[in-house]
Amino acid sequence: MFRLVLYIFETFRAYLVFAMLVTVSIFIMAISSNPQLRAIQSFSLTAIGFVESILSFIPNPIELQHQRDALQNQNVKLLQEVNSLRQSQLENLELRRLLEFKEQTSFSIVASDVVGKSLHLLRNTITLDVGTNDSVKPNMAIISDEGLVGRIVAASEHYSVGQILLHRDCRVSAVVERSRTNGIVAWEGGTHLVLKNIVKSVDIKPGDRIVTSQFSSIYPANIEIGIVVAAKQIPETIFQEIEIAPSVEFSKLERVFIVTSVADSERVALEKSIEK
Amino acid sequence: MTRFIRYILWGVVLLAIQTTLVRLFSVENVLPDIVTIWLVYVALKEGQIAGTISGFISGLLIDFVSGDFLGLSALTKTLCGFIAGFFYDEFKTNQIFGTYRFFFAVLISSLLHNVVYFAVYLFGTDITLVAAVLHYGVGTTAYTSAVSLIPMRRRKK
Repeated sequence: MFRLVLYIFETFRAYLVFAMLVTVSIFIMAISSNPQLRAIQSFSLTAIGFVESILSFIPNPIELQHQRDALQNQNVKLLQEVNSLRQSQLENLELRRLLEFKEQTSFSIVASDVVGKSLHLLRNTITLDVGTNDSVKPNMAIISDEGLVGRIVAASEHYSVGQILLHRDCRVSAVVERSRTNGIVAWEGGTHLVLKNIVKSVDIKPGDRIVTSQFSSIYPANIEIGIVVAAKQIPETIFQEIEIAPSVEFSKLERVFIVTSVADSERVALEKSIEK
Repeated sequence: MTRFIRYILWGVVLLAIQTTLVRLFSVENVLPDIVTIWLVYVALKEGQIAGTISGFISGLLIDFVSGDFLGLSALTKTLCGFIAGFFYDEFKTNQIFGTYRFFFAVLISSLLHNVVYFAVYLFGTDITLVAAVLHYGVGTTAYTSAVSLIPMRRRKK
């Protein structure tokens, strides 16, 4: 019998040891709430906690890299947000300015965004995102809060094309605000406009404001066109040529207004018949 | 006798490292279990009984220093040492690190260790065993097995 037990133990001793230790483990689990065991565990935890607190200054390099990546991502997102907010702030200021202008003006106007423009040709135009559906028609004046921009030359349902002052065919009946002298504003290339048909005897000084005159059948009166920067005397003629800096900065033009009240059709027809 | 003292000393040192320094190498909150690697080594070097006893002692010590479920690590590490003992080959005790036997022993022992650990630990909770094993068990097993390749490759050189 003893030999049999010994044989079994020799053959299955690894299993017996395993079974015994598993039993002990389960027993420990069963009595895990025992105060003595808890006291030992508590003491061990205190010791480990102390060692961990000493070693806590050593960083985890993988964790640090994750944190760095996360911070970089956050930084990029925040920068985008800052840029977006800055853009919104600028847009807000611009819209407030335009709103003030719209409230001040006495004309019936339609606001529009400039969706296309050419500034380097002899016949420069802008494309606007309003059309006949918005009551926009050819020969309506285009203005901005800075001054006169030009006039509509073509319109489809949703878009329209405007001829700006920097256009070879553009002619605007204008008046020098201080001296009330009338002339014609045209463009002959470059960044400045020219006031024509001003006789040499008329007193014009740099800084004089040029506005639209009441004689125009397209543009409303008293819209600022520009400021006189120089007056050149043309030899062998009775006229002088006045150089004007446009009030509108066309390169930065983003939003404009179309004056929807067209000129008196009877007056236009009469003037055209006389021209013929 | 000297070598058993050496095993115990190594075991204590690795246990101290496991509880204090291994956190420095955590990846997505997953840690390698270097005590399991040591256990497998002991089991492959000295046999199943030595592995089982080493597992029980180291598990019990882990229970005391982890503050967790008392007796649970003792149970799972005992199982781990016992399972690793099946890879024991008395004619190849000097070729433990040089073969993939060590790697597979770590892989299987660690996996079973984690399955049993989470099965007991999560018993009676809403978390399913599969979810826990997939979330932590597989990661820990993979990380531990990967770490076991380090001494294996060093020995190969």
